[in-house]
Amino acid sequence: MTADEKFELVGAGYLDTVPDVHQKENWWKGKPVCSAVILGMIILACVGCRFFMTHDPTYLDLAHYNLAPGGEFWFGTDTMGRDIYSMILYGGRISLFIGALSTVISTGIAVVYGALSGIAPGWLDECMMRFTEILLSIPSILIIIFVQALIGKDSIWAIAVVIGITSWMSIAKIVRTEVRQIRESEYVIASRCMGGSFWHILRVHLLPNFVSSIMFMVVMNIRGAIVAESTLSFLGIGLPIEVISWGSMLSLAEKALMTNSWWVILIPGIFLVVTLMCITNIGNYIRKNVNQKQSNL
Amino acid sequence: MKMSYKKRIVIFLVSIFFLSVLVFAMSRLAPGDPLVSYYGERAERMSVEEKERAMNRLGLNEPIIVQYGKWIQNAAQGDFGISFKYKQDVLQVIEGRLVNTLILGGVGFLLTFFFALLLGIWCAFYEDKLLDRIICKVGTITSCIPEFWLSLVLILVFSVNLKLLPGSGAYDIGQSDNLASRMQHLILPLIVVIMSHLWYYAYMIRNKLLEEIRQDYVLLARAKGMSAGKIMFGHCVRNIMPAFISIMAISLPHIVEGTYIVEMVFSYPGIGTLSFESAKYHDYNMLMVLCLITGVIVIFGNITGQAISEHIDPRMKEPVRMEEVTDSDGR
Repeated sequence: MTADEKFELVGAGYLDTVPDVHQKENWWKGKPVCSAVILGMIILACVGCRFFMTHDPTYLDLAHYNLAPGGEFWFGTDTMGRDIYSMILYGGRISLFIGALSTVISTGIAVVYGALSGIAPGWLDECMMRFTEILLSIPSILIIIFVQALIGKDSIWAIAVVIGITSWMSIAKIVRTEVRQIRESEYVIASRCMGGSFWHILRVHLLPNFVSSIMFMVVMNIRGAIVAESTLSFLGIGLPIEVISWGSMLSLAEKALMTNSWWVILIPGIFLVVTLMCITNIGNYIRKNVNQKQSNL
Repeated sequence: MKMSYKKRIVIFLVSIFFLSVLVFAMSRLAPGDPLVSYYGERAERMSVEEKERAMNRLGLNEPIIVQYGKWIQNAAQGDFGISFKYKQDVLQVIEGRLVNTLILGGVGFLLTFFFALLLGIWCAFYEDKLLDRIICKVGTITSCIPEFWLSLVLILVFSVNLKLLPGSGAYDIGQSDNLASRMQHLILPLIVVIMSHLWYYAYMIRNKLLEEIRQDYVLLARAKGMSAGKIMFGHCVRNIMPAFISIMAISLPHIVEGTYIVEMVFSYPGIGTLSFESAKYHDYNMLMVLCLITGVIVIFGNITGQAISEHIDPRMKEPVRMEEVTDSDGR
C-alpha cells in the first residue's frame, strides 16, 4: 500500500477546474424555456383557434366519419364525423379556461379561509383546520361528483365552480401556516392598533408575504383542475358531448375502442399530457429550492 | 409528549361523526328525485298522493335533522338502510364489491410504495448521474398522465390490439372463483394505479434521502471507511422510515381516488364504480355508506400512520405535511 492509498481523502469534494465566476451565464439557464414556449404556443393556438382551424369543429360530417389521420383531416375525424384537429384547438380553449377560472376561485377561497383561520383564536383555528382535514380525507373525485349533483348543471361555468370550490383545502393549509407565523409581527400588530380591517391587513401585510409560498400550489391547481375537468367529462358527468373540451372529446373513447380508432384516444390525450407537463415544469421552476450543499456520501 | 391511544380514538370518532353529518347534509340537499331511482319509470306515472305516501314510507318527508337522527340510530344497530337502486340492504350490495376494491387498492398501495422506495433509493444513490436524470424526466412525464387516459391507452394497446389482457370487469363471466381469471383482470388496473402514483412518492423519498445524505453523520461514517451502500441502507434509509410511513398515511386519499377512477374506466365492480353510479342515480343511503367507508379507511390510515411513525421516532410529534415534502405535484 503506498502512502497515497493510505491517506485517501474522503468527502473533501475536489474541484477539478476552478469555476470562472465572471463567465457570463446564459439567462435561460435553469429556466423552463421549452415548456413556456410550448405552453404559450398551445394557449395562443387555442385562443386564436379561429385562424388555425381547418374545419368547423361542431359540424357532423357524416360522409367522413371515423377517418384515420391524413390528407384533408390532419388528425382524423371522430365517430361523429368531427375534425379532431379543429376540435383540439377549439376544445383547448374551454379546458384551459376551466383550469384558470377554477384556480382563481379555489385560490380566492383558500386565501380568505386560510387567513381567517390563521388570525382566529386557537380553538376556532383548530376547528377550521379539522374541517379541511375531513374534506381532504374524502377523495376529491367523490366530493366533485357530490357537488356536481348538488349544482345539477353541466355548463362550463358550473364545472369550473364545482372544481374551484372543491380544491382549495391544501392551499388554505399553507396560507394558515404562513399567517400563523407572521401574525404576531410588529407591523401586523401596528396595523391592527391603527384600526386596519381584516381585508386591509390581508391585502397589504399578509398577502405579499405568503404569495410566493403558495405560487407553486396555485400553478399545480391549474393542472389539477384541467385533469379533473377531463376526468369528469370523460366519465360523462362533466361537460356534455356537444360542448367540446379535451375531456368530452375523450368520452367518445369507448366507441373508438370498439372500432380500434387510436387517433380519437391518443391525439387529444397527447395534447392534454403535453399541456400538463409544461404546467408542471413551470410549477417546479417556481418551487425550485436548489440544494447547493454538497453530498457527503 | 405522545398522544394517548384514548385521545386518538376520540379524534377518530369525532372525525367520523363530522364526516357523516357532512355527507348526510350534502346528499340530502342535492336535487334529483330519489323516488325515480327507487321506482324508476313508475315514479313519473304516480299521482301526487301516491308520491306523498311513498315519500312518507321511505322517510324522505321529515326534516333533515330527524332523518339524520333516525339514520344514526339504525346505523348503530348495523342497519344502514336499503339501496334505492338495488332494493337490497346497502351492506349486502357493498359486501362483495368492497373485497374487490380492497384487493385492487391494497395491492396497488403496497406495490406503489415498494417500488417507490426502491426507485427513491436508487435515484438518491446515483444523484445527478445520467440514469437518475433519465428516471427523473420519465417520472415527471408519467406523473402528468391522467389516470383515465393511461387506462384507455393500456386498454387500446393490450386488450384491443394485442388481445393479451382483458380490458374490463374483475373476472370472466361465471368465473368469479377462478383465481387465474381474477389475476388477469387485475393486471391492467394495477399497472395504472402504480404508474400514476409511483413517481410522485418516489420523488418525495428521493428528496428526503438527499437531505439525509447531506447530514454530518454520513460524512463521519464515510471518513471512518464505511461503504456508501452500507451507510445508505444501514443509516439513511432507516432514518427516513418514519417520514416514509407518514407519507404512506397521507397518500391514502390519493391512492383511493386513483383506484376509484381506474375502477370506473375498467368497469371493475368495486366501491368506485358503485359510488359513481349511486351519485348519478341519487342513491343516498348507498352514497353515504360508501363515503363513510372511504373516510373511515383514510382517517384510520392517517391516525395509524402517525402512531407508527411516532412509535419508531418519538420526535415525530408534528406529522409530515404534504406541502413540505411535495415536489412534483400539488394537491
